[in-house]
Amino acid sequence: MQWLQHLPRHCLFLLACLAAWTSAVSQDEPVANFFGKHNGTSGHTNNWAVLVCASRYWFNYRHMANALGMYRTVKRLGIPDSNIILMLADDVACNARNKFPGSVYAKSGRHLDLYGGNIEVDYRGYEVTVENFIRLLTGRVDPSVPRSKRLLTDDRSNIFVYMTGHGGNEFLKFQDNEEISAFDIADAFEQMWQKKRYNEIFFMIDTCQANTMYSQFYSPNILATGSSEIGENSYSHENDNDVGVSVIDSYTHFVLEFMEGINKTSQVSMQDLFSSYDPVKIRSHPGVRSDLFQRPLEGALVTDFFGGVSQAEIFPVTEEDADTALQYITRVSFPDHVVHPDPVSPQACHDQGVNTTRSNATALTPEKDNIMLDVRWKDIRKWTSIAIVGFLVGWVSFVR
Amino acid sequence: MESLLFLPVLATCRLLLAWVHFPVPDGLLIDHQLTSPLTSYFRLKEGLWLYNHGVDPYVGGILKHSPLFLSLFSTVPPGRVAWALSDIVGAWALVRIWRSRQQLGQSRRDGLVGTAYLLNPYLLLPSLASSTSTFENGAVLLTLMFAAEGRPSPALLALALSTHLSLTTLLLVVPVLMLLATSPTSQLASPRLFGGSYWKVLRYASEFVVYWFVLVCAASIMAGGVWNWMRESWGASLILPDLTPNPGFWWYFFTEMFDHFRPFFLMVFSTHLVIYVMPVCIKFQHDALYAAFLLLGILGAFKPYLTLADPGLFLSMFAVFPEIYPYLRHAIVTALLHAHASLLLPLFHALWVIEGRGNANFYYASSLVMGIAGGAGIVDACFAGMRIAVGSVPEVERGKWEVIQQ
Repeated sequence: MQWLQHLPRHCLFLLACLAAWTSAVSQDEPVANFFGKHNGTSGHTNNWAVLVCASRYWFNYRHMANALGMYRTVKRLGIPDSNIILMLADDVACNARNKFPGSVYAKSGRHLDLYGGNIEVDYRGYEVTVENFIRLLTGRVDPSVPRSKRLLTDDRSNIFVYMTGHGGNEFLKFQDNEEISAFDIADAFEQMWQKKRYNEIFFMIDTCQANTMYSQFYSPNILATGSSEIGENSYSHENDNDVGVSVIDSYTHFVLEFMEGINKTSQVSMQDLFSSYDPVKIRSHPGVRSDLFQRPLEGALVTDFFGGVSQAEIFPVTEEDADTALQYITRVSFPDHVVHPDPVSPQACHDQGVNTTRSNATALTPEKDNIMLDVRWKDIRKWTSIAIVGFLVGWVSFVR
Repeated sequence: MESLLFLPVLATCRLLLAWVHFPVPDGLLIDHQLTSPLTSYFRLKEGLWLYNHGVDPYVGGILKHSPLFLSLFSTVPPGRVAWALSDIVGAWALVRIWRSRQQLGQSRRDGLVGTAYLLNPYLLLPSLASSTSTFENGAVLLTLMFAAEGRPSPALLALALSTHLSLTTLLLVVPVLMLLATSPTSQLASPRLFGGSYWKVLRYASEFVVYWFVLVCAASIMAGGVWNWMRESWGASLILPDLTPNPGFWWYFFTEMFDHFRPFFLMVFSTHLVIYVMPVCIKFQHDALYAAFLLLGILGAFKPYLTLADPGLFLSMFAVFPEIYPYLRHAIVTALLHAHASLLLPLFHALWVIEGRGNANFYYASSLVMGIAGGAGIVDACFAGMRIAVGSVPEVERGKWEVIQQ
């Protein structure tokens, strides 16, 4: 408990350091350098996905399969379930009409079961409403709503919002019951921007006349794409003869086909995705809206939105570097003015954090001499202790 | 077993076992029956790595070994040959203890005594698992060997070393001092008051303290501080920071202990070890080696971080006391309890930790069986040691009465 006695001293020191630090150095450049270090352009640190299937009933099987296909892709590329909000009516897998209960397929031939045993549906059945969707996006949820149903994003989150269902000119039908309009979504995104709830949003929508849904956005950093122009329908891709209904929509099918070629380390850009759109095959004209998006599309990676990729920097560590690093750490963790080296005390951690950048410049040059001295000191200690024990053993054996 | 070559051949076989690079399965090295946080090979390697890279190895609670292990194994690499040599030294010490007790240069039973140490699975398996309990056992046996041969200074140095390596060996200080003041020969049949000189005992005690202090200095120089290694290596036995499962009693009790009762029960458990010293030494003041043997048995059942090596040492030492064999009342029960426990312990551990089908209670129940086995061994040895003094029932009376309690 020795650190407790030194607590007032530590607090004053900390305060002084903070004051000096904030007044002297501006934060923006090092922060920008840090976030831009590996990613190049995006500046995001975490990925979220909001996948909404706005239809219910058996004959809208394909919308369920759309959303589940996107879910699988997004999980495969690394976004964890905790960062995915999946909104489905979820009434096809165990539907009485489903010849393959507990399974949802997206291709005829039924090779891949998208439902499986390991999916996490956050909003199911009648919970998929316009109100819940907007509350989810804006974060204005009831305190009783559990964490798994909240969009806990921050200003460094990239969000992939995917919506599918029946839609029309600037509206999307939710569960045959209500509608959400393009203005509602645009306003919700603006609220998110004001509350710093996203870094970038990628909005993808697969409905009839989908491109109208993103026409009303006005917040920055939003990239949007839709499956068909105003006045055009989006068509389903194929039927499965045994399931008996259409199993996937055309646009989503081709997007998923494209995504099958992507893995976590892929450098494929969003421009490549958009270039892969073939209006003849899709049978409608997909659109892209990138005027609100700050970065060039060639520089935006697909994994910036679809994947939960974390940056790792690997550099070869030589023995000397390891010694340097560790010597440096030990020296920084126990500076002279922190009296008792209790490594888990918050004071020590704060001191370390504050001291790191200040001693950055000074620590590098005297390093070499200090390492050699430390290495020799360690050896001296070892041989001294061995000598003492050896001397004792020898003395006892021969003299006594 | 009676030929002169038997022991050397056995020793060579043990060395060969270490030399030949057959792959010891990793599971053995991390097995909780064979190693504990105080003796684990991986923790030792971690401590060595930290030390070699200039980080204080005792920060972080990984390393709980003594700094002398660090200094030894940073000069000599911790290979299996070191463990084999330690095993051979321990076996040799046991043979010499036996010889001093019998006052013989050589005897026909030497081979049996050596085998009892080298081929005891409770001792062989931890040694193959590179658990440093091999070195601790070796140090204890060296202490007893030097004390039995009447060489005080080496005995006290070895005692200081074994106390240094494992704090609970402090229990042996009193019997070793008594042994140095008397003789190792079997006096079990003729109990008498302690015949040694108390003044001598006091001198030996002060010499022990001096050696212990020098070792503490050497360790502190090695570790670069006094309290860091003491808190980790000796403090572990007293504070029990690490509740890794082992065949002992302490860990389970302290997983469910409320924090405000913890100091009290730590004191109770530690005192439990200490209270055996004086009664055993007083009762067996005529035969200090037997008192040491019984206290090793106590340690082998009630130590804080128990491994199989601790009851193993106790069982191996039975070979040195053949005079009690006729008076052991339930030797087969003890043996079966040990067999039972040693089969159930790894089984329930695997069931709990690896498969997830059992839980800690199964494993603790099997460690309780191990405790009963240890207790049965101690009780039987204690009774037999006292029973000898009463003597055998004469032929005439044998059907009529029997000594049950002394």
